[in-house]
Amino acid sequence: MEKEERRLASMERIKTKPCAAIVGAGRTKFGEHWYESPERLLMIAGEAALESVDHGLRRSDIEACYFGSFLYQVTNKLGLVPGYMARELGVNIPMTNTEAACASGSSALFNACMGIMSGKYDVVLVGGFEKMSDRFSKIVDNLMFAGDAHEFDAGFTFSGLYATMMARYIHDYGRGNRRCLEALAQVACKNHHHALGNDYAQFRREITVEDVFKSPLIADPIRLLHCSPVSDGAVALVVVNQEVARKYTDTPIYILASQQATDDVSLFTRESLTGIRATKLAVSKALEQASMSPKDIQIAEVHDCFTIEEVLFLEDAGLFNRGDGWRGVYESFESFKGSKHIPYIGDFGEIIVNPGGGLKADGHPVGATGLRQVWECFVQLRGEAGGHQVSSDKPLNVALCHNIGGTGGIATVHILARDL
Amino acid sequence: MSEPVTRRKILTDYRIRVAKCEICGKTYFPPKWFCNIEGRRSRMSFRDYFYSKGFLYSGTVIRRPTNRFEYIASFLAGIVDLEDGPRVPGRITDFVPPEDEVDISEFIGRGVVPRFRKIYEDGLQGLIYYSSLNFSFLDDYYPYQPYARIKPSERNDKPGIVGYGVYLPKFRIKNRSAEEAQGVQERTVPFADEDTTTFAVEAGKRALIHAALDGRYIRKCFVGSESTPYAVKPTMATVVQALELGEPYEDGFVSGGVDTQFACKAASDLFIDAAALVAFPAFNGGNVMVIGSDNSQAARDDPLDFTVGAGAAAFIFGDRDVIATLDHYVSYTSDTPDFYRREGSKYPRHGGRFTGKPAYFKHTVTAMKLVMKESGLTPKDFNYVVLHSPNARYPFQAALEAGFQPDQVIPSLFVRWIGNLYSGSSLTALAGILDVAEPGDRILVASYGSGAGSDAYIFTVTKAIEEKRSRTIPVKDQIENPHRQYVDYHTYRRWKEMG
Repeated sequence: MEKEERRLASMERIKTKPCAAIVGAGRTKFGEHWYESPERLLMIAGEAALESVDHGLRRSDIEACYFGSFLYQVTNKLGLVPGYMARELGVNIPMTNTEAACASGSSALFNACMGIMSGKYDVVLVGGFEKMSDRFSKIVDNLMFAGDAHEFDAGFTFSGLYATMMARYIHDYGRGNRRCLEALAQVACKNHHHALGNDYAQFRREITVEDVFKSPLIADPIRLLHCSPVSDGAVALVVVNQEVARKYTDTPIYILASQQATDDVSLFTRESLTGIRATKLAVSKALEQASMSPKDIQIAEVHDCFTIEEVLFLEDAGLFNRGDGWRGVYESFESFKGSKHIPYIGDFGEIIVNPGGGLKADGHPVGATGLRQVWECFVQLRGEAGGHQVSSDKPLNVALCHNIGGTGGIATVHILARDL
Repeated sequence: MSEPVTRRKILTDYRIRVAKCEICGKTYFPPKWFCNIEGRRSRMSFRDYFYSKGFLYSGTVIRRPTNRFEYIASFLAGIVDLEDGPRVPGRITDFVPPEDEVDISEFIGRGVVPRFRKIYEDGLQGLIYYSSLNFSFLDDYYPYQPYARIKPSERNDKPGIVGYGVYLPKFRIKNRSAEEAQGVQERTVPFADEDTTTFAVEAGKRALIHAALDGRYIRKCFVGSESTPYAVKPTMATVVQALELGEPYEDGFVSGGVDTQFACKAASDLFIDAAALVAFPAFNGGNVMVIGSDNSQAARDDPLDFTVGAGAAAFIFGDRDVIATLDHYVSYTSDTPDFYRREGSKYPRHGGRFTGKPAYFKHTVTAMKLVMKESGLTPKDFNYVVLHSPNARYPFQAALEAGFQPDQVIPSLFVRWIGNLYSGSSLTALAGILDVAEPGDRILVASYGSGAGSDAYIFTVTKAIEEKRSRTIPVKDQIENPHRQYVDYHTYRRWKEMG
């Protein structure tokens, strides 16, 4: 009862009208799926999402589909995702596929929210997928489609672009300070630690800072264990108009804010290499839409494609001052005495970032990632995360999902809440 | 990449084309047609940063490259702040990173200069892509040279050389013994991203800088080579586009030229044509650029494999501000099968017994004797004699056979440290002599091309050479550059095969 009162108190702060509500969510395990095609992966996730709707939902209830994927045309020589999915689902409703590199999944959700907020649809299926392992020998080249052509021609890889950001970050804010390098490794260690209890995660093993430092160099200063992996996987959500949400479940998760911002595709034309403007804009717009401040966020799913990106997020979101993110990581990691989730601690209080392991350990099937983040928050807020459920003194009520495309050419931010 | 995509990138990337808003001064790369700040008020102008320099803003060592850059890994890729310009991405070339982790902070802020290099190629059947968004470190082998264009002075009535440039790559290989390689101690080695075309552009760039001549005054460009990267597609067109030779007109240039092939005299043969064009009334006072460029090829363990070098020399012919007048010329030719390469074969072949006496010596000595006879000059009338240098012994012996003294030929035997540059050999030797020659000096040049022929030229150095000397990078300085870097035989073969 006391718990319930605390929950009611936290609900007091939420004054905003939700964009939509999530009533079901499903996903595949991330990793290599040798025997599954991309459309089959998406179907597996879709079936799981439909099955998860507490009061039941039929395919015929779905009015539209919003998909997100990045490389399917290259990796699997597929086109027309709507046509494939009409065949798989056996329905003939409106469908669109969104490509926004690594932010394809969250962009599909962003568009789905628009569809619902417009009043056109009450029930939509949102899906994200990627099948990267089918083209393993060319995937490093293909990922550069998320970069600028001149960067490609300068020899950059995707990890190389993030390494260039990380190198400048170290140069500006942590040069000669081993703790800065350790913090950039600790992000990976933390996220691996978080994934230990996650049945769907690609990697479920602890790694140490030393392991990171000893892993092979990919693009100095980035080593293998600073990087998220190449993965296959799919995620699907059932998203509905919040007015009808309780028809499908007693515990819908509300989308309080759905925001997106963009910036130059090319790293070299941006004002800064040590911050992502699109993140900054999308986070501040989302917080404004949800009438919240960073202090209200209890858990965050952050786009840690490379560990530097998680540190940049902490600064871009205003949790730490510019250049202090690594200190926040280091101090939080070093002072942690518990056994489960490692929170970041600062003036904002506590925040648990990437409770399921993030892109780093849960895996990063590009088009699925943005929705995997939402899936994670959905199960966490409903207390259904099982082995990796965040245990907190305060009941979990507010979560933020941050998904980036390219090196920051697009950022999508969603704020979710269990109770209004 | 498709042809239109390639063509669009050529227009942007060969010269690092940048847009600048004339209202607020903001610069854009890739170029934009309106300014983000000024919007409809913006007035854009376009300029290039081909002759610029910059600073490394950040970067990384790419250890696991994309497939197209597999050939060159590992390498440093970076973001460069161009001086008075925008920020651009670029690969750092002529730099082999250590195997251990590099502290990128040590490279941040280092000066860099753009280099025209190959970026990658679409396999053996596809196109080869070039760009100037490759940079070498300013404090390394390749110096920064500003390009000052000086208005040509009044007409000189005798055509000749108005400027020259030599490009020798940074990398070298030492021969086990000079004796074994007929006097060649060490040789130039191309970096993995260099080829005949990139040498030609770099040498031509240096020639323009030396002559202080605007490229628009050059109306013909000849590139002589026996190792052009394409069997069909002119290297000279790449040179014209990259160096902007001729009056610009609708993304092209009002100029012409051709690639030529005659083994090692493919370029020297064109000297007389260049001078003749300059004197031809309908050529309207234009200049001609002649480039000899080769990534000299030799089969593994062939005797040539111990003498071949790599590099290029470019000469601009004109009739204003001439530094050496072309006074006399004779060519001598016969069908002598001493050295050849059939279409489709990778390496040239040579019939050992023909290579020396009936081929090289017969043709060079005959040409030298004939040009002296025609001009009424004798060996003692010359300060220097310069010969095609397949090794150090042949030019020395041929010079003596033609009646010259050792001290007239020894100064031009740069082959001892750079190897045989094939089409660039006699041209580089001539450039090295012009580096030190005084006004009034007379030079006899005799090239040699297998197949076979020799061109003999007599040049007289003028006073104009003194004013231009500060703008050369002397051959001797390039040879002795403290940043030159030695590679092993395996690396030499690997990089050479890529060119």
